[in-house]
Amino acid sequence: MTIFHFALKRSFGNRANLLFLTLFPIACIFLPSGEGWPFLPYGYQYFGIFILFASIRLAAIMLEDRAKGVVKRLAVAPVSHLRYISQNLLAYLCIMVVQCAVVVIGGLLYGQQLYQPAWLMLLYISFSAASLAVALAWISLYRNKEISFLVFMPIVFLVAILGGIMMPVDIFPEGLRRLAVVFPTYWLAKGLDWIAFGESIGPFLLVNGVLWLYAVVFVIMGSARKIE
Amino acid sequence: MKALKEPMTFVQGWRFLTIGALLYLWIAHEAKTGSYLLILLLLVLASLRWRFGRLPVWTAFADAAVCLAFVPFSDIGVYGLALPIFEFALKGKWAVSLLFFAGLLVPSLPSSLLFWLYVQAFLFGAFACTALGHQRDYKREADEQRKARQELERIRLELLEANRAVSRQAELMERHRISRQLHDHLGHDLTGASLALQAYEYVSDPAEARELLREVGNRLERSTTRLREAVHNMTPVTPIGADSLAYIARNFRHAGIADIRFRQSGDMQRVAPHMWELLEACLKEALTNIVRHSNASEAEVELQASETIVRLRIGDNGTVHPGDLSGSGIRGLQMRARALGGSLSRGWDNGFTLVCVLPLEQGGGIDETADSRR
Repeated sequence: MTIFHFALKRSFGNRANLLFLTLFPIACIFLPSGEGWPFLPYGYQYFGIFILFASIRLAAIMLEDRAKGVVKRLAVAPVSHLRYISQNLLAYLCIMVVQCAVVVIGGLLYGQQLYQPAWLMLLYISFSAASLAVALAWISLYRNKEISFLVFMPIVFLVAILGGIMMPVDIFPEGLRRLAVVFPTYWLAKGLDWIAFGESIGPFLLVNGVLWLYAVVFVIMGSARKIE
Repeated sequence: MKALKEPMTFVQGWRFLTIGALLYLWIAHEAKTGSYLLILLLLVLASLRWRFGRLPVWTAFADAAVCLAFVPFSDIGVYGLALPIFEFALKGKWAVSLLFFAGLLVPSLPSSLLFWLYVQAFLFGAFACTALGHQRDYKREADEQRKARQELERIRLELLEANRAVSRQAELMERHRISRQLHDHLGHDLTGASLALQAYEYVSDPAEARELLREVGNRLERSTTRLREAVHNMTPVTPIGADSLAYIARNFRHAGIADIRFRQSGDMQRVAPHMWELLEACLKEALTNIVRHSNASEAEVELQASETIVRLRIGDNGTVHPGDLSGSGIRGLQMRARALGGSLSRGWDNGFTLVCVLPLEQGGGIDETADSRR
């Protein structure tokens, strides 16, 4: 698990990263609730956007590895690419899980109305996995960390809007409403709605299943070894 | 653009395009949340095929199972059967592929659209199967040819090495023969003459002294005659080395080129015998090219041997650029020159020019063992 430990240390090694990964989740706890929509407090509704940004920031470390030739050196070391990818992703997922726990437990302690906190935690973890996979696939398209991040930013906002995180999809025209389903953010928004009003567990499990399937698809797509 | 020439690119493209089509059908006609799982599962399988290349044929049953599991709940499952049809056709299992045409029996769907979807999936799979098969065959053939070329190259290098060893051995044997011949034919007479001259100082009888001097004269005359015969017998009849190049240049004069100048400089004894073969071949090739492709009236051959290299340059005053002359002749000579650690280059800047440079070994054609014996 050397790569795992090293990935954890590197994630917090950078001061900007440290602030980004710790302060933002804490800030989410204290955001107020909306009137009517969203059904959860704003911080919990928008936490999905933060997860997407945190994922690309963490995954960019692997892009840096590729640019610095670490992946090339690993190719000749007795470490498989699968182990490198899986231990890195596991480390990043652990960080995300801790953030999710901080947000959910912090909200409970602060007294936010979270309806079903355990399921909310599960939903955030599922979305974190999907989001990390998307980030992995995204960085596989780029050679430069900054450019990948800059292009990713507007896309995150677009996906967040179209997916129904920033505004309800019901206000969109029919075509966009149907198209929204292809974005992982749609399933997060759907899951958040279920947290507030859901009764039967089936739809919630479907949401989580879809998010994990997204994770699998994007991990497969992003796991190709690219040596520069 | 290179990827567009790969049949596998089209196969991957077809898979993702079909999943896109299923997604469109789902958005446009169905939009049941549950059946979106079907599309995602098919996408997982397509991604696996994209990521890991060729998966075993049984994985197509996974596509079929996923689609069939959703058939009772969603029409997308029936449309999705196009994927296993394609996968089985791609693997050459055409009979199994045709079994999935049973999806046409579902009464609620427009059978013509479904029929043509299945037919194009089957045909595309079958064509891709054939194309990939041909590509595999070509790759195998190319690999075999590459292997054969490497083997030939290895044998050629071994032959060159053997050639070098044989020429060195021949040189040593020739030296041994010459030394034996000198010893047998000249050694006895010269030693006898030397002894007779030493004895002459101690002879007091003038008649005996005259007889001794006459004997010395006879022996020296015989030695001179034998030395002349030995040298005459040892001199090769056919020209070798630089003489051979001059001979070739002379013989090409009457083949269309008015004047061929031959110049040589440096110690040609330093050039090893096996190098002369290559230099001769270069000269013949260059002169043949000049006669066949150039409008030159003059040609010049320069042969220079320095401490470290021997350089042969053939140039003409032609004005016609004959285009690419990299036929098997020049290529073969280039390979031979490279094998000897040298190079062969050509150009058309001021007429046709061909230059062959070969490195000389320390000691050159002279055997080192001769020095070590001294």
